[in-house]
Amino acid sequence: MALAAPNQLNISDPPTWGSRTVDCFEKLEQIGEGTYGQVYMAREIRTGEIVALKKIRMDNEREGFPITAIREIKILKKLHHDNVIKLKEIVTSPGPEKDEQGRPDGNKYKGGIYMVFEYMDHDLTGLADRPGMRFSVAQIKCYMRQLLTGLHYCHVNQVLHRDIKGSNLLIDNNGNLKLADFGLARSFSNDHNANLTNRVITLWYRPPELLLGATKYGPAVDMWSVGCIFAELLHGKPIFPGKDEPEQLNKIFELCGSPDEKNWPEVTKIPWYNNFKPSRPLKRRLKEVFRQFDRHALELLDKMLTLDPMQRISAKDALDAEYFWTDPLPCDPKSLPKYESSHEFQTKKKRQQQRQHEETAKRQKLQHQQQHTRLPPHQQSGQGHPQMRPGPNPQMHGSQNQVVAGPSHHYNKPRGPSGGPGRYPQGGNPSGGYNHQNRGQGGGSYGSGQYPPQGRGAPYGSSGIPGAGPRGGGGSGYGAGGPNFPHGGQYGPSGAGRGSNMVSGNRNQQYNWQQ
Amino acid sequence: MLSVSDNHHHHHQHLRRPEPEPSQDEPTPPRVLTILSHHLEKLVARNDRLVLGNRQSQQKSLKGFDGVRAPSISIPKYLERIYKYTNCSPSCFVVGYVYIDRLVHKYPDSLLVSLNVHRLLVTCVMVASKMLDDVHYNNAFFARVGGVTNAELNRLELELLFLLDFGVTVSSQVFETYCQHLEKEMLRNGTALDHMVRPAITNSSSTADATEISVEDHTQSSSSHE
Repeated sequence: MALAAPNQLNISDPPTWGSRTVDCFEKLEQIGEGTYGQVYMAREIRTGEIVALKKIRMDNEREGFPITAIREIKILKKLHHDNVIKLKEIVTSPGPEKDEQGRPDGNKYKGGIYMVFEYMDHDLTGLADRPGMRFSVAQIKCYMRQLLTGLHYCHVNQVLHRDIKGSNLLIDNNGNLKLADFGLARSFSNDHNANLTNRVITLWYRPPELLLGATKYGPAVDMWSVGCIFAELLHGKPIFPGKDEPEQLNKIFELCGSPDEKNWPEVTKIPWYNNFKPSRPLKRRLKEVFRQFDRHALELLDKMLTLDPMQRISAKDALDAEYFWTDPLPCDPKSLPKYESSHEFQTKKKRQQQRQHEETAKRQKLQHQQQHTRLPPHQQSGQGHPQMRPGPNPQMHGSQNQVVAGPSHHYNKPRGPSGGPGRYPQGGNPSGGYNHQNRGQGGGSYGSGQYPPQGRGAPYGSSGIPGAGPRGGGGSGYGAGGPNFPHGGQYGPSGAGRGSNMVSGNRNQQYNWQQ
Repeated sequence: MLSVSDNHHHHHQHLRRPEPEPSQDEPTPPRVLTILSHHLEKLVARNDRLVLGNRQSQQKSLKGFDGVRAPSISIPKYLERIYKYTNCSPSCFVVGYVYIDRLVHKYPDSLLVSLNVHRLLVTCVMVASKMLDDVHYNNAFFARVGGVTNAELNRLELELLFLLDFGVTVSSQVFETYCQHLEKEMLRNGTALDHMVRPAITNSSSTADATEISVEDHTQSSSSHE
C-alpha cells in the first residue's frame, strides 16, 4: 500500500462523487465500445489530467442502476493500492443525452453516469499478443509480482476479484500493472459460510473447485487464475483453452492429474464431482510438460496450479517464493520498455465500415493467424536453462527499452459486442478491464446461459452477449515435446480459439492486415 | 439474536420460485420486520410531531423522497408487503435500515417522516437486496410492490446511491451491531410490541385518502411480475 509522504497529505477533499458533471472533462476520443456504452479517453479541463471515462448505461429501465456497477463502485471505493485500478470519481451528465438509437430518453433524472478511472495504456493480453512481443524473464517477474501484490491487497481486504485474466490486468507506460474490472468481485469474510455463485471467472482461468460446483470458496480461486496467467506468460499461450466446462476440467486433469481423496481431501463431496471425475486416474504431468521452464518458476507454478484449494499457495506466500528472489530479479517497472499506443477517433459510420472490412479480412486472415502466437520470454544469458524454443525472432537480448511501434493497442480493438480473438470461450465474464456492464444481467444471474459469450474484451472493451454458443479452440492437449510457441500448430487450424470464430476478429490481425 | 443469518439458504430456495405467490396461509413475517416497523413508526411519529411543532420544513437532502402526503398504508403493512412479494432475505431489511440510518446521520437537516419513509424503505431495501442477494427482483418489480413507478424508483435509487456516496457496504460487524440495537429496542418496548404485532387494521381502515403510493390489491400485483 502506498503511503502518502507527510508533505503530500491529501488535505483538500476530493469532490463528492456525483457532485460534478462530465462537463469537467473534455472527451478526446472514444477508445472502446461495447453493449454497455462507450469508454472515452478524456482530459480533465481544470488539471489537464488524462483519464478514462466509462459510461454506465442506464437505459434498461426495468433493471435500474446496473448491479455490477454498484458492486464495482462500492468495492473500488474501499480499495486504494498502486496495483489496483483507481476509480477517481463518479460524474453525471447534466441532461438527457441524445440516444444513438434515437429512442426516447428513458432516464429523465440523469442523462448518464460516468465512472472516471485513471488512464492506462495497455492490458497484459493485448501487450502479449503484439506481433513480435517477447517479454524478458525480469519483465515477467515484474508483472507477476505486481499482480500478486495487488491481489494480496484485495484478499487481506476480503475482496475476491473473481475474474483475474490478462485482459483485466491493465498496464501503463511506466510499467505499472493494476487489477481492473471488479464487476464480479465480492466481499467475503472468513467466518461467513456463505454460498457463493460458482459461475464466475472466465472459463480458461476458472479453478477446478468452481468447475466441480463448489459454492463455498475463497481467495484460492483467484490464485488459480494467477497460475494460469503465469503459465501463459511462460508458455506463450493459454494453457487450458477449454470450450466448455467438461473439456475445461479434462484439460486441467490432463495436466494436473485427477483429483482424489488423497491429493484433495473432501473432493468427492463437491456437488458435481461424480459427474465430472475422469474415467481413469490421470497422473500429474505439470513438471514434465513444462520441464523447460526455469526451476523456480516451475516450482511456483506447481504450487499455484494445485488442485486442492486448501493447499494452493496464497498470494502472500507466492510473493515470498524463491522465484522472485533469484536472478534475474524482477525489474523496476520504470525500466520496462514503453510501448507505443495509438488512438484514432472513429465515427460510428467508420466503425461500421470497418466491421465489414473485418468480416472479409477475418476470412482472409484465418490461415495466417497462427503466426502471431506469442513468443516465449527471453532467457537471460546466464540462465542455466538452454533456450529450447526455436522462435522466429530469436533475439536473446536487447528488447529492453525498445519501443515497439505499431498500433496493436487494446483500445483500437475492433468494435462490436464480441470483439476479441476468442480467447475466452465462455465464463462468467467475457469482458475485460474497465468494462463489466451487462454481464450477468438480464439473464437473471451470473453466467446466465451455459455458454456465455466468448471473446476477450479489452480493458475498455466490449461486453459480450450472453447466450452465444460454444465455440473456440478445440485444443488437443499438450504436445509431448513441450511447447511450440512459434507454430502453435498443435491446436490445429482452428485451434486455440485465436479469433478464428469471432465476429470481429483479432485486433492484431486487424492491424497487420491494415499495415 | 435476530434470525436473519440464514439468508443465504433462503436465496437458493428463492431460486426455485420464479414468481412470488403468497401462500394461502399468510406466513408470519420474520421478527426483524416487526421490530423494525415498530422502531420506524416510533421514529416517524416523533419526527412528525417535531416538524409540525417547529413548523420546520424538510430540508433538501431527502426532498427527493417526499410525497405530497403520507401514504395510507402503515409501515408494518408496507414492510410485510415488500417481504411477501419480493422474497428478499430478512437481512435486506436490516441493511436497508442501516442505509436509512446512514442517511439521517449524514444529513442531519433531514428527518425520517411519514412523507418520506415509504419511499426510503422501498429504495433502501431494494438496493440492499441488490447488494446481498445473488438472485433478486428487478427495479420494475420492486416498483410495483412499492406502489411507485419504475421511473420514479430508478430516480430514487440513483438519489440514494449518490446521497450515500455509494457507501453501500455493510460489514458483518456493523450488521451485528444493528441487529443488537434493534433487539434492545424491542426488549425496551416489550409490552408495546405485543400491541404492535397486528397494528395495521386501525390505520388502513381509516377513510381512504388518495395517496401517491397506491399499492395494488395483493393478488393483482403478484401476477404483475414480468
